[in-house]
Amino acid sequence: MLNKMVGIIDDIGGVTLFMKEVFRTGIKTPCTFSEIMDQTWKVTIQSLSTTAMAGFFVGAIMTVQFTLQVSQFGALGYLGGLATSGTIREVGPLLIAFMLSGKVGAFTSAELGTMRVTEQIDAIKCLGANPIQEIILPRFVGIILSSFFLLTIGLFMSIWGGLLMGIVFSGISIEEYVRHIPNIVSPVSIVTGLFKCFVFAFVLASICTYKGYNATGGAKGVGKAVVDTAVFTMIGIVIADWVTSAIGESVMELFLK
Amino acid sequence: MSDAQVQFINVIKSFGDRTILKGISFEAKQGEILFILGTSGTGKSVLLKNLVGLLRPDTGEIWVDGEEVSQISEEKYFDIRKKCGMVFQHPALFDSLTVFENVAFGVRKHYDYPEEKIKEIVKKCLKLVHLDDVEEKLPQDISYGMQKRVSLARTVAISPKILLFDEPTTGLDPVTTNAVNQLILDLSKTLKTTSLVVSHDMHCALAIADRIIVLDKGNIVDQGTPAELKASKHPLVKEFLMEATTHA
Repeated sequence: MLNKMVGIIDDIGGVTLFMKEVFRTGIKTPCTFSEIMDQTWKVTIQSLSTTAMAGFFVGAIMTVQFTLQVSQFGALGYLGGLATSGTIREVGPLLIAFMLSGKVGAFTSAELGTMRVTEQIDAIKCLGANPIQEIILPRFVGIILSSFFLLTIGLFMSIWGGLLMGIVFSGISIEEYVRHIPNIVSPVSIVTGLFKCFVFAFVLASICTYKGYNATGGAKGVGKAVVDTAVFTMIGIVIADWVTSAIGESVMELFLK
Repeated sequence: MSDAQVQFINVIKSFGDRTILKGISFEAKQGEILFILGTSGTGKSVLLKNLVGLLRPDTGEIWVDGEEVSQISEEKYFDIRKKCGMVFQHPALFDSLTVFENVAFGVRKHYDYPEEKIKEIVKKCLKLVHLDDVEEKLPQDISYGMQKRVSLARTVAISPKILLFDEPTTGLDPVTTNAVNQLILDLSKTLKTTSLVVSHDMHCALAIADRIIVLDKGNIVDQGTPAELKASKHPLVKEFLMEATTHA
């Protein structure tokens, strides 16, 4: 138990120092714009279909859940606004983060881990390049940027999913569903969703690049890096969600009001 | 500092409470092919990694081409790595890049050459390792032996003064092993480089080395020319010699 605690503290320290190195490299010797765009494109394409599908069904689930509540008060007209606001502020960013964690986090960690154990990272150094600049920075920024694209697509699909359920399950029209969306989905909701999306993507990108880059011990080590990435990103995202919900929103509302 | 191009003076390297290199001292002269022999886990690869700055020694001095490098900054190591080309145990080629881009990688980082010149260097280096028509292929589309040769071409492309080979023939069949050994010999003579070859193959060492160092448990237990090593009384050297005779 004590060893595990020490291991976790060691990991937190390791990620912090690794991030310091990433930022230092990003400021002193940034990677090229095309490298970032290349990674952003890869990550977005990798997760596009699953995010879109999951977004659609999350919208549908939110509508079903809200229908059960608001129909008791005869407020079905607010269904679209409530479901969309809930998705933008909370469920959407969380969903995108979990999707990215499962697909992109595991993939990035395995890719970097394999590069480490097959000495490709050492080779980059020996050939006169900085591995942080060459392989970490583009992936790190790419994951964060792509999360915004995926959030937009996921939200768009969730509105369609919610709309379909609104018509089929709740028996309301399209006009009724969309009428209160602009009233309930405020700029605060959108900024909150985007901020959460950024924080979750940051947590994911730091953990998966750190774990992959520092993998040791051959195939077993790569496997361990991938499992650690999955576990730590899930825990990290949930903790980050709590922090941003508890502190972030009140701070943001203070600034926006 | 003597006239040696590479010199280790009392180098100690530990990982936790395990001391891997226990005060290693040796030197390699310009143009020499120096084999570092030893069983697995004796610190041969650690020794090479200390030389190129992938690891740093706990104490001791490492001199490369007249410069003490054991404590210099990562930025300053850029120029040292230009002098020391390392061929890894794995081919360590970049999966997402073609053979051409792999070989050109180091040249692009170290030199500000126009594209035409880079193409010329890549072609020349691939020719040196007897490879043709593979420029546009990805590493996974060529055999392991070819990958090893591409890795060699990539290292040679940056025109290093010192070539470091980490078990260059591990995992290769006898025919390819002989071909790679011949390549090491040819490249060292053609390019006039100093070569440090980490290996556990005494047969190859006797065939192409100018000098051989035998490592055991982090210490140098014997060293000399192939002829001198053949007369060694050390049990480990004798075992290596017996193995070499069996495989000859």
